[in-house]
Amino acid sequence: MKFLNKIIFFYFREYKLNMSGVQDILTNIIFFFVSIFIFIFSIGPDKETISLIGVGIVWTLLLLSSTLSLRKFYQDDFENGNLLIIHLNGLSFGFIAILKTFSHFLFVQVPFLLSIPIACVLLNIANDKLFYLLTSFGIASLTLSCLGSISSSMNLMNQRNYLLGSVIVMIFSVPIIIFSVSIINMEENFNSLINILFGILLIVFAINPWASGLCLKLSLENN
Amino acid sequence: MKFLVNPGKFNEIADYIFKPLLFLSFIFFALGLLFSFYLSPDDYQQGSTVRIMYVHVPSAWLALLTYAIMTFYSIMALAFRIPFGFIFNTAVAPIGAVFTLICIISGSLWGKPMWGTWWVWDARLTSVAILFIIYLIIIFMNYSFENRIVREKVIAIFILVGSVNLPIVKFSVDWWNTLHQPATISKLSKPSIDSSMMTPLIIMTLAFIMIGIAIAILRIKTEIISRKSNLS
Repeated sequence: MKFLNKIIFFYFREYKLNMSGVQDILTNIIFFFVSIFIFIFSIGPDKETISLIGVGIVWTLLLLSSTLSLRKFYQDDFENGNLLIIHLNGLSFGFIAILKTFSHFLFVQVPFLLSIPIACVLLNIANDKLFYLLTSFGIASLTLSCLGSISSSMNLMNQRNYLLGSVIVMIFSVPIIIFSVSIINMEENFNSLINILFGILLIVFAINPWASGLCLKLSLENN
Repeated sequence: MKFLVNPGKFNEIADYIFKPLLFLSFIFFALGLLFSFYLSPDDYQQGSTVRIMYVHVPSAWLALLTYAIMTFYSIMALAFRIPFGFIFNTAVAPIGAVFTLICIISGSLWGKPMWGTWWVWDARLTSVAILFIIYLIIIFMNYSFENRIVREKVIAIFILVGSVNLPIVKFSVDWWNTLHQPATISKLSKPSIDSSMMTPLIIMTLAFIMIGIAIAILRIKTEIISRKSNLS
């Protein structure tokens, strides 16, 4: 019961922090939509071209805008000492990484999940493809959160070159992009591709607590 | 075998083998170039462009081998607290990057006459490009952390996470339908290459391995000295 209380308080704190800075989440979403506008302006308003490459645009922009908020993943808690206090309360670093990953999923990725249907209307994507898009993003966004946790914990002590974190997420998200987009484009072998996506999610989810926990511990020890 | 984990022992051995290694690599390079340009036959389909293979294949093998050894040393360094692994990772990453770059460039020079294009988005080519970017990230990480202890451990963790790419590079030609041909030599059954082409390939591979070890020895020695004098 005590353990459960700790988790509940952790999420209560995350909720309060994210709600006090709700404009950051909204800015992410605005970035997403403004980039869609930019894409359409640069390609031209031809409907057939847009619906042909619309899925690719949505996926690219989802990836880019979810890496925008990477700096907030651990950095604030690390700098004001909250990470150490949470650890001293009896949660291991690996477990903190798991909790943080789910909190990032809830407060950063779920708003994107809600804004995908609007993007589909703007980009002229067919309604039957929307279901596949939502399913693939629902699985892949948790994978992206895990990758974000790994890369942002690696770059906690990196004061010079913060863009490296985004590059790490993007280079490891290549297989996710490939399989998610192929789910949407070739609809016949839906199940096998979903299984591959789940497999990638499980691999990354298993690596995440180990890698991020180790990096958090290192950074706190040598700060 | 203690010189593989102990910097002091490594320095002793390295002084002995550096010059012979360099000399041997030059001899093998001369022999290999002679074989690959004059003493090996043209391919019946590809003509003379098949000679690009004698640079392309060894550099590709060594790019993968370097990363595999770095992964091994990262595990050793993190699990058994052997600092030589961190020295090795820092020193050897640029060598692997150069081998990968040689592989990519020679491959695209080979691809233009044979496939008609410099680059295709094929599984093998893409995964090698990702390997190159992973090498670049490792090199950039070396310059972007202030704290040495954090830096080397974070790099080791990153190498371990990035090693998922290795089996993808190796088996990409079997798992997907690629324009790149499947493995000819490094497979379980008998190599399906003629011995007249196999000989220069083996000689060039030995030359590449020797020059790679020689440069690695130089870089590791420099790294050990700079750590001793606390420069990094």
